[in-house]
Amino acid sequence: MRQQSRTRAARWIFITPFMVMFGLFFAAPIVYAIVQSIFAEKGSALGFGPPETVFVWFDNYSRAMSDEAFRESLVRLVQFAAILVPLMVVTSLTLALLLDSGRALWPRFFRVLYFAPYGIPGVVATLLWGFLYIPATSPVLEMLSTIGIEIEPLSSGGVLFAIANIALWVFAGYNMIILLSALDAVPAELYEAARMDGASAWGLIWHIKLPLVRSSIILVTVFTIIGTLQLFVEPLVLLPLTTAIDSNFTPNLAAYNQAFALGNPNLAAAMAVIVALLGMVFSFGFLRAVNRKGNRAW
Amino acid sequence: MLTACSSADDDDTSPDSSADGTEGSSGEVVELTFQSWVPNIDQAVDAFNAAHDDVNVTLETVTAGPDGGYATMQSAVQAGNPADVAQVGYDAIPDFLINDALEDITDYVGDSADVFADWQWQTGVFGDRVYAVPQASGPLGQFYRKDIFDELGLAYPETWDDYYEAAKAIRESDSDRYIAAFAFNQAPWMIGLAEQAGASWFSIEGEAWNVDIDSAETAKMADFWQRLIDEDLVKIVADFSNEWNADIQNGDIVTWISGSWADAILRGTAPDTAGSWAVGAMPQWDAGESVSATWGGGSASVVLKGSENPEEAAEFALWLNSDPESVSILTSVGAGWPAIADTSQIESLQEDPEVFDFYGGQDIWDVFAESDANVDTSWTWPPLSSTLFSSLTDNVKAAVDAGEPIADAYAQTETDMVDALEQRGISVNE
Repeated sequence: MRQQSRTRAARWIFITPFMVMFGLFFAAPIVYAIVQSIFAEKGSALGFGPPETVFVWFDNYSRAMSDEAFRESLVRLVQFAAILVPLMVVTSLTLALLLDSGRALWPRFFRVLYFAPYGIPGVVATLLWGFLYIPATSPVLEMLSTIGIEIEPLSSGGVLFAIANIALWVFAGYNMIILLSALDAVPAELYEAARMDGASAWGLIWHIKLPLVRSSIILVTVFTIIGTLQLFVEPLVLLPLTTAIDSNFTPNLAAYNQAFALGNPNLAAAMAVIVALLGMVFSFGFLRAVNRKGNRAW
Repeated sequence: MLTACSSADDDDTSPDSSADGTEGSSGEVVELTFQSWVPNIDQAVDAFNAAHDDVNVTLETVTAGPDGGYATMQSAVQAGNPADVAQVGYDAIPDFLINDALEDITDYVGDSADVFADWQWQTGVFGDRVYAVPQASGPLGQFYRKDIFDELGLAYPETWDDYYEAAKAIRESDSDRYIAAFAFNQAPWMIGLAEQAGASWFSIEGEAWNVDIDSAETAKMADFWQRLIDEDLVKIVADFSNEWNADIQNGDIVTWISGSWADAILRGTAPDTAGSWAVGAMPQWDAGESVSATWGGGSASVVLKGSENPEEAAEFALWLNSDPESVSILTSVGAGWPAIADTSQIESLQEDPEVFDFYGGQDIWDVFAESDANVDTSWTWPPLSSTLFSSLTDNVKAAVDAGEPIADAYAQTETDMVDALEQRGISVNE
């Protein structure tokens, strides 16, 4: 009895700091954003009096969704996800499998090399690529141009790929490490047994490695989907460099613009809540889709 | 001594509590913070502190207003912890006002109207109450590479027709060279061009706003630039970007229509081109005229709502923008064309070797003095000017990117602006 109540007290002592932090820095901002999103500031006549805060129900949500620029930004996000997610999974998986193959030259060196861009802040990475994307400052584009290849990474047709390339550069190494540690955890006996059964290198990958790191692949996919929805820094930094990016390029950028440039934090809060809901729908939706088919199937 | 201090503290709100004399003699120093983005404005703040024993001002450098400085200021007002004095563009004063972020400083500086150019003073006056002390305007002029114009045998473009001809000649002279950047990122620039063409986008009629962005005057200007874009005579590049900086340094962009403060930017961006620049008046729509405009109006000092010492704050704002020593500093650090009416005592406007040498010995202030006198002072800034700026640059970007007429971008901006005002509960005449 005494033993039990002491354990209970200890449990609370250990859990309280987490609960406080969780409440303050996770739950409270979400509640605050939701509350903000159902109010609006209204002026009157010429607008020179102090504004009034009015309860407007879901007015901000319908306004956000009826805003063509915001809807376009959602569509753009889906297009971007369609480009980045498969590219990211395939690239990081390929790198991981290559380093894990046992035939790679200097695997430790390349592991660090691929991971290194993750240590560079997104803003700096984008600035760096920004230089490489502009004809006036890019040695790469200049070189390509001398051999007759003219590409414009920041044109409206290319800009999503240009941004996907930055995201890939920064995060592929990070995702590779996740997959690599999952591959490391595969017991060596399995490979041995498979080889004795006459499995080829491809067979090893297909029948042993991939199924055993399946959960890590799903994790990487969910991370990438969530990262895609948060797309913000890259377009913000590239915005002044091209006509193809405007201040509503992604939903997050649109919300930022409403809050900090247009002075409408209420509408911004509604947009942020919409993005959060979408994040939930997409990531849980993906998890459901892959789990429904049973544990081992793809 | 102790009682004197505490009574001064307690009486903050009573009208005569903080008259200069009493506080000075009690030894109490009023601490003020001032937020600004003007580079080297600390020199003027230091001069104020040196000349005042009873007030001490601390400068806080913030990001240029539209890039985040305004958001910082307004959030601090809402949180009840604002700076005392802040730098705010003329275009943004109505914005601050509709968010109830400005102190009424009529009682402290209302008598000083005569010190300033009337139109600049009026940008801070709403319904007979004063909310801002003007600092400087940004009258437009055209910076140009005189050496390249001379080399090509081109005369200075007095009219927009001349400008078009010059653009063709410059484009032909070198495959990388353009007369100017079409700065799709700069709403104040595009607005200044429309203003100079005679447009008046906003006006008050009765108790409601008239919005007339998509006007014949705007269209005249938009069509002109459309022609330059279509014929590849201007380079579509954001000003202040790396590419633009490189183009200015290399002489691939040879003119820049900009505010008077741009001289400091050119000197900083392209020091190696010293001596080859000059400044002229804006090209005119009709030969012989001298119509001018501004780059986003200009800049003022306001007292933010909730300042604990609004009177001292207002006095600092007044001193900063009218004391001859201070104004001389402001002018030489590139704050703009001074808002004070009598500029004859401003030392740095009379002789400033560093500036004049960069422009081949030209006294460029003559050009801006004239430009400032020729500004159409009836231009009115609306509430939600940040929406105007953002919507205009977005729409122009979209039009340029899609190869659609930029005139459409102005029509769309009018729609956006009317929507935004109505959403905010502000009356608009249909």
